[in-house]
Order: sequence, then structure tokens, then C-alpha cells
Amino acid sequence: MRVIKLKKDNLFPFLEVISEKADLWAPVKKGDKHVFKVVDDFSKVELNTTRTILPPRKIFLPQTFSMFNISEKGYEEDFSHVTKKILFGIHPCDIHGLLTLDNFFKQDYLDPYYLEARKNTLILGLSCWPDEYCFAKSTNTHIIEEGFDLFFTDLKDFFLVWIGSSKGDDLIRLKPEFFDENLTDKDIQTYIDWQTARDNAYKWSINFTALPDLMELKYRDPLWEKLGDACLACGSCTNVCPTCNCYNIMDKQFLGGKDGKMIRYWDACTLEEYSEVAGGENFRKKRADRLKLWYTHKLQAYISKYGKPSCVGCGRCIVTCPVDINVRTVGKALLGEKEDAFWLRFNKEVTK
Amino acid sequence: MEKENNDKLKIGIYELTGCAGDALLILDCEKELVDIFNAADIQSFLMAKSDNIDEELDIALVEGSVSTEREKEELLDIRKRAKTVVAIGICSCFGGIQAAFLDQKEWEKNFKKVYGDAKMTHTKPVQSKPIDAYIKVDYYLPGCPIGKEQFLSTFNRILRGNPPDLYRFPVCVECKWNENDCLLNKDIPCLGPITRAGCGSICINHNLPCVGCWGLVEEANLTSEFQLLQEKGFDYDFIKKKMANFSGTGIADFLGNLKGDKK
Amino acid sequence: MNGENKHLTHDNPFLPEPARIVRTYYLTEDVKFFQVRIVDMEKALSFNYSPGQFGMISVLGAGDAPFSISSTPSRPGLLEFCIGKAGTVTNALFRMKENSLIGFRGPYGNGFPIEKMKDKDIIIIVGGLGAAPLRSVLLYCLDNRDQFRRVSLLHGAKKPAEMIFREEFFALKQREDLECHLSVDKDDTGKWTENIGVVTTLFSLLEKIDPVNTYALVCGPPVMYKFVIKELVNLNIPKDQILMTLERRMKCGIGKCGHCAIDYIYTCLDGPVFTYWDVIHMRELI
Repeated sequence: MRVIKLKKDNLFPFLEVISEKADLWAPVKKGDKHVFKVVDDFSKVELNTTRTILPPRKIFLPQTFSMFNISEKGYEEDFSHVTKKILFGIHPCDIHGLLTLDNFFKQDYLDPYYLEARKNTLILGLSCWPDEYCFAKSTNTHIIEEGFDLFFTDLKDFFLVWIGSSKGDDLIRLKPEFFDENLTDKDIQTYIDWQTARDNAYKWSINFTALPDLMELKYRDPLWEKLGDACLACGSCTNVCPTCNCYNIMDKQFLGGKDGKMIRYWDACTLEEYSEVAGGENFRKKRADRLKLWYTHKLQAYISKYGKPSCVGCGRCIVTCPVDINVRTVGKALLGEKEDAFWLRFNKEVTK
Repeated sequence: MEKENNDKLKIGIYELTGCAGDALLILDCEKELVDIFNAADIQSFLMAKSDNIDEELDIALVEGSVSTEREKEELLDIRKRAKTVVAIGICSCFGGIQAAFLDQKEWEKNFKKVYGDAKMTHTKPVQSKPIDAYIKVDYYLPGCPIGKEQFLSTFNRILRGNPPDLYRFPVCVECKWNENDCLLNKDIPCLGPITRAGCGSICINHNLPCVGCWGLVEEANLTSEFQLLQEKGFDYDFIKKKMANFSGTGIADFLGNLKGDKK
Repeated sequence: MNGENKHLTHDNPFLPEPARIVRTYYLTEDVKFFQVRIVDMEKALSFNYSPGQFGMISVLGAGDAPFSISSTPSRPGLLEFCIGKAGTVTNALFRMKENSLIGFRGPYGNGFPIEKMKDKDIIIIVGGLGAAPLRSVLLYCLDNRDQFRRVSLLHGAKKPAEMIFREEFFALKQREDLECHLSVDKDDTGKWTENIGVVTTLFSLLEKIDPVNTYALVCGPPVMYKFVIKELVNLNIPKDQILMTLERRMKCGIGKCGHCAIDYIYTCLDGPVFTYWDVIHMRELI
């Protein structure tokens, strides 16, 4: 892979040049958190962020969008969510999340709604520094070798720019004068020092290797009932997860009855109606059963197919779930490690 | 092409006790208003027209709760005339704010406090209840007021014999779609997890906690929400009042059986 | 399976194909028969599928839902469905008249392993609406009779009026190359000439079987599986030759929406036909 240098001051001018023909999505502030948003004002782009509230998959498959228009003439595809985009500031764990989604949406039948949006989006990754929730080192998703067009490692005075694709190279060629092809030994040492320090900055870890077997062995453990009792079934863990892909559809017919749209929107296996079939029978009426499904998918199922968990260690479920049901507390409980969580303190009765 | 009125389904829109916000919302569908009147024969709609005919109906949309004997009679009459009855708005679905005091004795005490010994001449007031306390309701369209999109889609579906297709999940789902930071995690007493979605998480979008005005979501985990708020330092009675505010009959069982109130 | 699933009607696998209801009538009080033809004649004739596969039917304004195909690919051109009144989509379908337009996409799912079943004995055990997918495989076997050895049908319903395809199956009794046993749990007409009792009572009427060379195909209400499977296992039919088709919520049919997921498999891709071994091996299947 070709690696070059970019001076700090040249980043925003470079982004400005390359975003002339595409929408630039980058992390910006929202309250005291961050979100990916289309930016016009580059001073709003945040470089030192951790996770955004929602993962970047919203850029490829929006929360709700129209799949096709229906009229008397038949069905007409609607790809209005597919526009030329550049996604800047995506961290390694989230790029791994996209690679997981790529596998999913390419297996068996191709999902054109995802793949078209993916094809039209350039990925400009950015290095990050873990906070107390990150655990990407445990999932081995703190480093990234593929899945980006350019990747920027922030080394204080300059960026190391990794060119991951021919399209990424084309971007560099728009402003070659911004970049320096020559890396000095000192630059390389700076990178090594940064990487060591970053790897040591992870504040906690979890042993994922043991989890698939434990999911199997503890399938009937009372732990699941306990989790189910406290779970608010709010769907937030799913909505913020970078590798969740479930959706639902809604047939929107316009008044008059001749035409309509098919709307696709994010669904969550943790919601009550998820496994309900016509007639009202529900295969997973209990919240405990739904949580089992979610954790089977994150900690076990994907591993058996692709050799790695579909959890990328971003920590979003940890910061989001109000009752502390997340990969950390569930994982640690499966491993028999002590952890403090609302769901562990939860009592079935409300007392004064 | 406009159809003759007699081909269209006959609709009545009625208002009982409430703020008339749902009827107003229907009128506020300015762009679609012509379509609404084209798609159906609106026989009765007091807020919109004066030549109301109260005969046999295909569909009656009823807003508001029942709080007087006269409303009770009116409601029973609507049910007799209409093939399908749809409760629209939180008051009609769950009783709304005016049904927050569900205990009969408590209600009588409050009534006296507000009205004193005033004599009610034209009708007798009764404790406010949702319409399904008196009649069979075919469909519920909650909201405070109902949402425009959900109303239009529901109206169209019912016209074509299909049940409404409403979000059955809590406000949190829409709130996350809108990429809001969870208020509960900031120790703000938000009722999002126990409240039915459809509003587009409008309050939280403006940094205000959900007050539960769309009523309880089917699977509301009230015990967990209650304890979570307690852990965040909120007082037992404060939480009770907050939860009772809009959900009326929907939350009566839960609040009535709280261990904390038992001696 | 990677990459080989080419959608038959469109490049976009989500896009339904306009189709027309050619014929529809009641099979029982709450089950209706639908004959459907894809509007595009060329597509209608080239549309191919295996018995046991299903399709998604969409009705504008009501949504879409998965339905087993009840017709057989050996009789191309028309698709047949036997649909019970269950939810919004089926209610809307029940109201639709002949010549109405619907959307159709498919075929989806694995279907029955026809190749493996060739030159074997086939026992088809039907309860209630289970006739929907099993009629397809039964007709397929009869249309290609020389490819299979013994073919038997055991069909149970609650009462005579609830027996789906009653006339059709009664007519099949005349065939000498099919062993056909019908039963009702209860005869409320007094005119029932066949067996009375739950479907498992029909096993005693079966001639001696050759278990190792037998495939048993089961579909019916959930309560039926337990008892039928017990009989089949007692008959020493290998667990991976006991096949059943299962129902789950599905929104896409192509392994994307997630609703039919069980562990790491998707009912719409890896099913709806599962072996009894799959059922023992995987959690949550039934």
C-alpha cells in the first residue's frame, strides 16, 4: 500500500477540493456527542471524536427510505437515497462494521439498495484514540487494512495517508502538491510510537474466543431471564450497532388508492413484533428470547461463518443502553466475571 | 374523475371531551384535504361543516373521552350507527389527562375541589374514561394530537378495509433514528421507552423529555422504567404522577398494584 | 449457495412482478384457492421453481407476505396458492376478485430435495393448511410417477368441511399408483366414509415400509409435528429423511430483512424445508 504524508493545515483545503462533486459526510458535534452529517462548513468537522451516536450505515441505508413506487403501471425502483458521497472521519471499527455489512448484503441475493449506495461512496478513514468504552482491540478491529479509499492516521503535526484504492489515488491526484511522498525514518518512528501508545490506551478487554461456546452452554442460563426482566425493549442497542442489518417494510398507499410507495425502515430483533407472524403467533414473545437472538448473532453466529465476531468493539451499546445491557456486561456475565449493571441490581417489584 | 357520493364510504368525525386537537389536525391536512373529501363522503364533522347528517355510517372517527352522561349516550348512538369505530387521539384511546385520577373516590374529591357545589343542569358529569369503557372499538389511532402521516395512512387503509399499520415500538426507536442523545442517560426523566412511537420523537428532538402523550407502547416495561428513574434519584410519587399523566386506563393496573403502596 | 441465487423476474430481487388473479374460490370456510398468472407471458411460462418453495405476494395498501406455492412446476404457466385467512394481506386477498392485479416475486427457499427423493418411497403427511406446500410435491410426484417408488398420502383434517382439496384428494383415491388415506378428527356430518381419528391413526393403514429408502414429508399445525415425528422415528425412518416445512415471519424472502433468523440460519434461504435432524440440532426451530 502506498503511504504518503499530508500536512495538518492542508486537510480541510483538500476535503474542500474533493467534495466539489460529492456530498462530504463527516463527524460534527451534536450536544456533547457526535453525528455524521453532510458538511459545507469545514470548520465544523471534528477530528478528535470517538463514536458517533448512530453508526455510518445510516449513510448507505437510511433509517427510512422508499424502495419503489407503485402505480397502475407497475413497480418502479426508487434509488433516490443513492447519491455521490464521501465519508470522512470513519474509524477502523466502523470500517470493519461496513465490511461485515458488505459480506451480509453480498451473500446469497445481492441487495442493490445497499450495494449501489456503497459503490457511490468513498471511504476516508481516520485514526482515533480509545475512551473508556472502546474495546476494538478485543475484537481486533482497531487496525484496518482494507475497506477504505484513503486512511488518515493523525500523528499530531501531520497525517500519514494510506492509499487503499485506485479511486483514493485519484483523489490525491487532484491536489498532489498537498502531499509529501517521502517518509523519513523519524516519521516512521513517530507512527510506531503512536501505535504502541494507542494500543496501550484500551482500558478494558474481553475474551471473545470463549464466547461462542459459552453462548451455546449458557443458552438456558437464568441470566437471560434476568436480562429480559430489565430490558426496556427500546431497540436502541440494535439501532446504534454498526453491524445490525434488519429492516421492516411498510406499504404506503396514497389516498385515492391507485399508487403508493414501499418504505423500508430499520427494524430491531429486540422489539416485540419482530418475530410475530400473521394471526398473531410470536416466536419470540419473551424479551429474554429476543436478547438471546441478538447476542447469538453478535457473539456466536457470525464467528462460525466468518471466523470473527460481528461485534466491532465500538462501544455504542455500552454508552446507549439505559439499563446497561450491552456486549460488555453480557459478555462478562457469560464469562462469569463480576460487573456492575442496572440489570443485575434490578428487582421485579417496585418498592418505595 | 369524481365518483358519486353514494359510492363512497360514509364517514362521521366526532368530538367528545378533549381539546379538539385531533379534529383540528385533520383540518390541518391542507394539501390532502381535498383528497380526504374526495375519497369519502364526510357526513358529519362539526368542526368543518354545518350541514351534518347523523345517520348510518361506515366509519366513525371519535376523538375525546367520555366525561358526561350525554357524551355516553352520544357515543352509544354513534356505535349503533357505525360499522367501524376508530378511537383517535390519546383521550379517546386511553382517557388522556382527564382520566389521570382513576380512583372513583379520588375523582369525586377532585371534582368537588374544582366545581364546589355547583349544580350541573344539562347533563351529569361522570369520571372521564376512554371510549372503549362503553363501546367496542375497532381500531385505535393514538396521538396527542394524532400525527398527520399516520392519520392519512390509517384513514386510507380503513377506507380500503385494511387495519392501520402503526409503529408498535416505543419512541426510543424514532428518537435513535433522529440521532438524539438518550436523555435517560443524562438523568432526565424521559418516558420514551414506555411510550408508543409515531410522534417522530418531537420533544426529545428539542431536548425535552418524553411525557408519554401517545400512551403506553404494547410491551412497556413499566417496572424497569420506574426503577431506573428511582435509581436516578427521582421520588416514588413523582414517578407515579409522571407515568399516570397521559396513560389513563392504560397504566391503571400497574399503578394500582405497586408494591411500594402496599403496607 | 453464494452468488448462484439469480432472481428470476428482476435484477432487483425486491421488485415484485405484476400478476393477475385468474381464478379464486373457497376451499373451506376460511381457506381460499388462488390461481395466479404473471402478466408478462414470457416470464409466466419460463418461471420455474421446486415443490416446497414459496413466493411473496403483495397487495397495494395491505403489504406483502410469504405463501407456499401449491402448484407443481410440472404444470407451468399458472401458479396456485391455498391461503388461510390470517392477517392483513390475506384478508385483502380474500376480498379481491378474479382479474385483480397483485405483485409476485420468487421463488424463494430451498424446497424439497427432489433429486435425493428420486427412486425412494415417499410418504406425505398433511394436517390442515399443511396441504399448501405438500400438494405441490404430491402433484410433482404423480406427474413424474416413474421417478419415485411408492407414493403415499396421509391427510388429516379436523372435520370433513375443513379438509382442504377434499374433492381433489378423493379423486386421487382412484389411482392405483398412490396409497391415499384420509381422516378427520371428528365427523360432524355422519356421511364420512373414510377413517376417523387424528392423522397418526392413519399410520396403521400403511402397508409395511422400507424405512431406509423412505422420505417422509410433514406439514401441518405445530401440535401435529410432535406426534407424527414420533411415529416416523418409531418406523425407523432416518432423521435426515424426515422433512418438514416451517413458518416464520418474513419480509423479504431473500435473507436480508432478518425476521426469519434462527441462530445463524435464515428460514427463507436455508428453509422452509428442514429435516428432523436440523430441528433437533438447532434451537428454536419448533
